[in-house]
Parts: sequence; C-alpha cells; structure tokens
Amino acid sequence: MSIEDIFLEARETILQCDQERAVRLAERALAEGYDPVEVISSGFSYGIRQMGELFGRGEVFLPQLIMSSEVMKAAVQILDAAIIQGETTQYKGTIVIATVEGDVHDIGKGIVVSLLKTQGIQVYDMGRDVSTVKIIEKALEVKADIIGTSALLTTTLMSQKKLEDELRKNGLRDQFKTMVGGAPATQRWADRIGADAYAEDAAEAVTKALLLLNRT
Amino acid sequence: MSEFYTRYGDGSPTRVSADEMRRDLEVGTNDAADRGKIPALSQSELDHLFDICTRPDKTVSVERGNEVVVTFDAGTLKLPIRAGVPMDRSSAILTHERAFCSDTMELAHVDYSYKQLKAIIHEETAAMEHVQLNTIIPIFYGAMPNLGLYTKPDGPIENWSELLPLAKISEAKAAQEEAMEHAIKDMVYVASRMYEAGADGINFDTVGASGDADVLASLKAVEILKNKYPDIAIEFGMSGEFILGMHGDLFFDGKRLAGLYPHQQVKVAEKAGATIFGAVINTNSSRTFAWNLARTVTFVKACTEAASIPVHVNVGMGVGAIPNSNTPAVDAVSRADKALVEIGKADGL
Repeated sequence: MSIEDIFLEARETILQCDQERAVRLAERALAEGYDPVEVISSGFSYGIRQMGELFGRGEVFLPQLIMSSEVMKAAVQILDAAIIQGETTQYKGTIVIATVEGDVHDIGKGIVVSLLKTQGIQVYDMGRDVSTVKIIEKALEVKADIIGTSALLTTTLMSQKKLEDELRKNGLRDQFKTMVGGAPATQRWADRIGADAYAEDAAEAVTKALLLLNRT
Repeated sequence: MSEFYTRYGDGSPTRVSADEMRRDLEVGTNDAADRGKIPALSQSELDHLFDICTRPDKTVSVERGNEVVVTFDAGTLKLPIRAGVPMDRSSAILTHERAFCSDTMELAHVDYSYKQLKAIIHEETAAMEHVQLNTIIPIFYGAMPNLGLYTKPDGPIENWSELLPLAKISEAKAAQEEAMEHAIKDMVYVASRMYEAGADGINFDTVGASGDADVLASLKAVEILKNKYPDIAIEFGMSGEFILGMHGDLFFDGKRLAGLYPHQQVKVAEKAGATIFGAVINTNSSRTFAWNLARTVTFVKACTEAASIPVHVNVGMGVGAIPNSNTPAVDAVSRADKALVEIGKADGL
C-alpha cells in the first residue's frame, strides 16, 4: 500500500466513523514502516479537519463529529505508542487553553482542543470559567508557547483583554503568543487588544496555532 | 477612487471601494448557494444590491406600495429590558401600536421559555386579557422551546451536552428524546392557555437553539395545537440558518431535520401547520455588511420561492445581515430591510 493510499484510507475511516478499519490501517501503516507522524498529520488529521468543515456546513452532525474523534483517538493511540517507542516524540509546541472567567461555554473550545492534539501540539486544557491569574500561572509552569482563550459572551470578552494587560504589566508579554476565539471575538478585536491571532473556528485555530509555532 | 461607507458584521464602520463591494456581494451569494445548494443571485440582483449598499442616504426604504408587515420576537423585552426604558409590558405594547405604528406585537415574559411560563400562566393570561382590552393590533404570545432547560440541574434529564463529549451517543440521543416529551407538553399547555385568554397568535421563537430535537418538539407541538384550534395563527421562528444536528437522526414528514436550510425548514413548518415562518440567516461578524447581505438575500429568496406561507425574515442583532451590536445601526438595518423585501421577496420582517 502506498503512503498516498494510506492517507486516503485514513481520511475515509474518519469521515465514515469506522473505528475498526482505522485501527487496522494504523497497524498496517506501522507494519509497512511508514512514519507514524506523517500518517497522523496527512491522513487522520486531514480527515478530522474535513469532518469539522462538514459540521460547520450542517452536512454532518454532532454525534458523527464525536464518533469521528473517537475513531481518531483509537488510531492515534496506536501510532502514538510507536512514536514514543521510537523516541521520536516531538511536540510542535505547547498551548494552554481555557474558557475565560465568568464564562461556562466550552463545547467549541473542546473541539479546538481535540483538533490541536491531532496536530502534534501539546495541549493543557484548563476547562471553563478560569481566572486570568490561573491561566498565566499554568502557562509559566508548563513553559507554554501559546495561550489560547475562548469567550462566548460579549460580557466575558473583556477577560481576553485583561489577559493581554496582565501579561504586559508583568513583563511576560513577549514570553507567549496569544490566540483568541469565541462567537463575539473577531480579528479586529484581536488587533485592538494586541492578541497575536484570532481564529473563527476550530479548523482555523489549528492553522493559526501552527503559524504561530512556525510549523505549517 | 471613491469609497463607500459600510460596516463589518460586528458593527465597526469601514470604507470600501466599488470593486471590493462588488466582490464581497459575489462571494457572499456564492457562499449561500454553495452551502444551501440553491441558485446564486443574478447579475441584475447583485447590481440592485450594490445600488442599495452604496446609496449616499443614511437610511433607505422600499418604494411606496412595497411595505411589508412586521411581527416581533421577544416583543415586550425590547423597550423595558434591553433598552432599559422604565415601562411595563402593556405600555410597551401601546407604544408599539400608537407611536411606532407596529402592525402586530408580542407579549413576552422575561423568563422567555415555555417551561418556565407554566408556573406563572395565571399571571400571563391576565396580562394578555388586559392588553387585548386596550389594543387594536393583533397580539401574539411568544416564548422559546429551550429544550436545554429540561436537563439537570434545571430539569430531570441527563445533559446531552455533557454526554456527547464522553462519546455516550445513545444516552445523549435518548436524553434528547425524553426532553422532547416534556417540552411538547409544556408548549401545548402554555400556548393553549394563552390562545384561550385571547392571544391572536402564538410565536415559537428561536426554534432549534438546542438542536434538531428542539425543532422536532416544536413541530409536534404546532401539529397538536393546529388540530386542537384549527384557526390558530402560529409563527415559527428559527434560531439559525441550518438545523444543528445535536441528535442527527430525527425526522419529520420523512425528512431528516438536522442540516435543513431555510428553504427546506419552511416546508416542514408548513406541514406541521405553522402560518408564518421566521427565517434566520446568521451574520458573520468578521465579514462585511455586503457579504452578509448578499448571502442572506440568497437564502431568503430561495426560502420565499419554496414557501406557501408568509416568510417573515429575522432582522435583529446578529441575524439577517444585521451587525452584531446591541443597538443595530440604522444604515445597515434599513438597507437589509429594503434588500430582503425587494430582492428576497420577504412577506414580512
């Protein structure tokens, strides 16, 4: 089986939510000596991005999206094990991500987290309703490259600005890249508060994160 | 080169060239056509839109004789609650009738969900009777189905938004199906009481906010009400441009509800017995007004062409090309209204 065929079939297994076939394919790719990182990023991850786009158009539904991420997890678990065994584990970067204080909406952020993980980014998901102080503490603790925040409400959007202000006030702004997202956030909002990137949806969050890490 | 004043979908003002405006109109209509699998606007319609968007007047309007009626959602929440004007609901309705010349108005409670309203139904029926004694225009009573309110801790049912991320798909689907039964009962009860208290119509507002099960529950409630009261007027207003598949396997009249766009949604609403359909097209806050307007008009045109009942397009904050700001800018609102009526052939707003 050529690597292109592996990629194609990996994408298909995700789009069809076929876990058994995905697991078999992951095992076969390893048996045939293909690079597991390449199989994840150009095969399974590509499929999950397609799935995200279809979901955004109303062409697939939430249960399928969840099932496809389960398929992804099962396949990646096998490939990850081989990566660790081969000591080639190399994250493209580390991100600390949270829904800001006062905001309990985290469905969209959860999808972003899943997609970022599939792209070889180490993700520390702090959950929802997280204070600016805690976010900064965690980012310092894990030496994050990026801090990502999500806000669904116009009232909690200000916490994204607060994060920028706090980072600047404490002389930490140059230590991290920052990304913002959530329904009321826009590119103009990101520019106004001085965030490094804005992402409209989960697929764009991955693209922007990779850009910030110079890993596209 | 001349530039035209316009806005982004978040309300921030900007200036664009004629070429940029034309490009955004074309990309916007093509996006709607691609997603909805519907025809894009013709060149003459795009030219008409360009003309509406670039007129120097601060506000624009339809030609005399092309006026349309208006209905409201969250009617009595607008002046007393959102605008903070200290007036009660009946004063808000009279203001709409006698100062704003509204064609209709909606009595609504701040707990704008059918589930919450059953506990205070005696107060709501009294309010409706009082309002009807003082007004001439038709008065609707409205609220949201809000299926999510039936989940723990607000209700008795497991929360599918928590079950789904745990990959408990069948449990999440079963929870939604169970919630539907409670919601149908509440919607039929509240709507019946309000209709019998004198409401001229019932408004099901923001249908689908909790996904496809929310839509199916509302359709079934409409069906029951229509059988019970054949003359009842029911407005069926949506929450988004496509029905979100939180369940994914729910059908009405043989049609899968998840993924339906406005021109398909209106047909199931009609079949259930709705008398007015409230089409919703989401505003993208990162795109320009021209992009959002072309996209909205494309969806609405397909919807009015498919519909056998009047279509009242939602033109409020964040929908119908209206920028996502608390008090939408009148330049954008009046342009959206004109375009939706003249090109989208909306029957009402």
